[in-house]
Amino acid sequence: MTFLAPAAAALALTLPVIVALYFLRIRRPTRIVPALHLWPDQIRDRQANVPWQKLRFSWLLLLQLLVAAFLVAAAVQPALPASASLAPHNIVLLDASASMQAKDVQPSRLEDAKRQISAMIDQLGPQDRMTLIAMQSTPRIVASGSADHDSMHRALSGVAASNGPADLSAALSLAAGVVRAGEESRGYLFSDGIVEPLHSAFANGLPFPIEYHRIGVSGENVGLTSLVVRSSAQSRAAYLRVHNFGQQARSVTVEWRSDAGLVDVRPLSLAGGQAQDLVLPVPDAAATVTARIDSKDNFALDDSVTAIARTPRAFHVLLVTPGNVFLEQALRLRTDFQVDVAAPASYRGAAAYAMTVFDRFSPPALPDAPYIVVDPPAGTPLAGGAAVGIGRVRASDAGDPLLTNVSLQDVHVAKSQDMGPSTFGRTLITSVQTPLVLVRDQPFRQVLVGFDIHDSDFPLRIGFPVLMQNLSEWMLPASVPSRSFHPDEPVTIVPENGATTVGVIRPDGSRRQLATGAIATFADTDLVGIYTVEQTVPASPGLSTRKTDRSWFAVNLFSDATSQLTPVDRLALPPARALTAGQTEHRGFLQVWPWIALLALVLVLGEWLAFHRGL
Amino acid sequence: MASSPLLEPQLLRRLEALAVIVRRAVKGQMGGERRSVNRGRSPEFADFRNYTPGDDYRLIDWNAYARLDRFMLRLFVAEEELPFNLFVDLSGSMDWGRPNKAVTAKRLAGAIAYVALASLDRVRLTVFADAPTSGGAPYRGRHSAQGLFARIDSFPAGGPTDYARLVAPIARQRPGMTVLITDGLGEEPLEPAITALRLARQEGAVLQLLAPQELEPDWTGDARLKDAETGFEREFTATPATQAAYRSALALRTEEVERVARRRGLRFARLTSDQPIEDMVRRTLRQVGLLG
Repeated sequence: MTFLAPAAAALALTLPVIVALYFLRIRRPTRIVPALHLWPDQIRDRQANVPWQKLRFSWLLLLQLLVAAFLVAAAVQPALPASASLAPHNIVLLDASASMQAKDVQPSRLEDAKRQISAMIDQLGPQDRMTLIAMQSTPRIVASGSADHDSMHRALSGVAASNGPADLSAALSLAAGVVRAGEESRGYLFSDGIVEPLHSAFANGLPFPIEYHRIGVSGENVGLTSLVVRSSAQSRAAYLRVHNFGQQARSVTVEWRSDAGLVDVRPLSLAGGQAQDLVLPVPDAAATVTARIDSKDNFALDDSVTAIARTPRAFHVLLVTPGNVFLEQALRLRTDFQVDVAAPASYRGAAAYAMTVFDRFSPPALPDAPYIVVDPPAGTPLAGGAAVGIGRVRASDAGDPLLTNVSLQDVHVAKSQDMGPSTFGRTLITSVQTPLVLVRDQPFRQVLVGFDIHDSDFPLRIGFPVLMQNLSEWMLPASVPSRSFHPDEPVTIVPENGATTVGVIRPDGSRRQLATGAIATFADTDLVGIYTVEQTVPASPGLSTRKTDRSWFAVNLFSDATSQLTPVDRLALPPARALTAGQTEHRGFLQVWPWIALLALVLVLGEWLAFHRGL
Repeated sequence: MASSPLLEPQLLRRLEALAVIVRRAVKGQMGGERRSVNRGRSPEFADFRNYTPGDDYRLIDWNAYARLDRFMLRLFVAEEELPFNLFVDLSGSMDWGRPNKAVTAKRLAGAIAYVALASLDRVRLTVFADAPTSGGAPYRGRHSAQGLFARIDSFPAGGPTDYARLVAPIARQRPGMTVLITDGLGEEPLEPAITALRLARQEGAVLQLLAPQELEPDWTGDARLKDAETGFEREFTATPATQAAYRSALALRTEEVERVARRRGLRFARLTSDQPIEDMVRRTLRQVGLLG
């Protein structure tokens, strides 16, 4: 046994003081009474006479000595050697991802992990430090190198489970970053093992050994893993997938609701490991639909899913061209585009359009909005230098997402303006002679094409409509995407043309305000449910009256990896690099003083009882 | 009227209007204002009887002789003095309280004695603690009041109470009136003394005098209790429970004194030392029928 605060043993001097108080008698005032025999023979004197009296046995004395002894014993903080081996610096990675909300261990996996870590904190010696990292989609340091048990306990109790995944790689990187050179450290991972795959960056190992403490026991869970609304000419329908991830057969009831109310209830029986797809009707007026199962399982996060049923709002796109069937057809491939075609002479401005394509035409003032300018006439601001012969073309960066599925192998360009001196933006497609297609993000996503489409065989290749699709989706992402997102996944929101305010109302009713001048990225998607985007926009183009435009997107778990819940027995973790010379381990301490203090409290209660019983 | 340190002259003047009420005739040694069992000289006619030689011929009723032709003597009620005994408890327990019970007892005894002396009664004073002490020769007549006051005032208070030793002096008294002033708190019972009063054919009264602080103790907490009579000490912790137990014991004791007194045909009054003497005498003692 070790005493963490041996100096507190000096408090043991209180014991003889208590005994001395019993030797001493209190000085009682003398009162003369006319008839002493009328007064009851009762005395509550447990103290002593002037100046000393014979020490008599007293239960109170015994209890008070015991209380004092126990309090002194607690004050010296006795500690037993603990079973766990600790290092001077202990780095604890606590999995706070969605799967840790599972209740297969009571009250939850996260609380079970916190309980184990709390016990570990109590075992820290006076010189030991601990760093606590909450492992979520973005890991964060909760407590850094602290030796204060109270602050560690407070930091630990403040950790809550998120609805997102656990990024083990990022957490390990963070942990490696807090280890000082030459410092003896040890890592502890408290997790159910349901984490995102490790990066290859840890091939060289970690600067500390790490232990995996498995949390959780069961993978029994029935979850909703997909919900998609499909529209056809006749009707709309929702496709829902229900998956029994457990080993045992389960019967659940699927409750199907729209924002107008209950639509359908279907009982469902699933064998162990079975998944079943349901086709569910979507009412015409429904804007959102919700499916819910009453599985009463260990994991509630995947028992309810939502989807947006409303058809995405259409974008108005203006094509200003003397005539270009290739461009027009490529734009019309987007079902959410309403394409207007105008001759350059009739162009009066593009204020009412979300995007404008100028083909061989450039207005005196280009709009402050997304646009594509193709082969700008000489003398206009975006025009390049004299035409040069080109030939084959190539991607400036083969990995550019804008060129996904775009093959430029058989594409040739006869001639193009010399865009070499242009400062428009970065080059997307280039040639030996000059850049051909340039793109830029600021102030709006805009594209400059240096050659006439007709001077190329590109429109005849499959890559052309794909490139146009990629460009238009990049320039005009759905203002508010109607698909489902995962928790913590960022959502790109393009403010409406002329929007003065853009706000997002989260499922819990809280509101976040976004900037209106540019495309915004909304990252507060930690809650599952329906998010409402409210924008204040002109009632109609050119009018000063305003209206509030609402659109929605949904956040659902939709993660088979998380919903399968089965804790991983052996998690592959990076090995530790060779330990530095002289690195040692020592046993932690198991502090027992709280129990002794509790016993002292019980004795105090007994002493109070004894006093009132007149013992 | 001479002034007295024990009682104020104004009070004494007011007391002259009172008299001790005796329920039966008395047999004294000297003439007084009390109806005697003997026949004597007084304005009050009692009876006739035949003359026998040796009778005072001055008492022959000559009118009766004229009608009956024989000598008849007129007999008158004799008026004699009342043997009035005062027993005053001056034990240690009486030397206590605010106002002091012994001082109050002396003043009360003086007041009652003065009423008796004003009626030409013969007042014998006895103070007692562990033993009775005579207050000297009987006092008679108003002029002897100052001597009685000085005598009663000269006795110190102290010592234990022994009611049993009152039995002998009471038994020696001629039938008359006895007033016993005590707190009744002696460790021994008061009953033998009261029984002795009955046997000595004493018409009397027991006046129990207590201090307000006895009835309602005004302290709590730890204390060393010391008996005012015996000097015995005991450590004590006063709590609401112990105070209640004390009050209960005191009530039992005082009820016992009253019960014994009334059973023996004596008048009883409970007085507190903070009562004015005039209030005790003119109101309380008149209520119990001792004075009128």
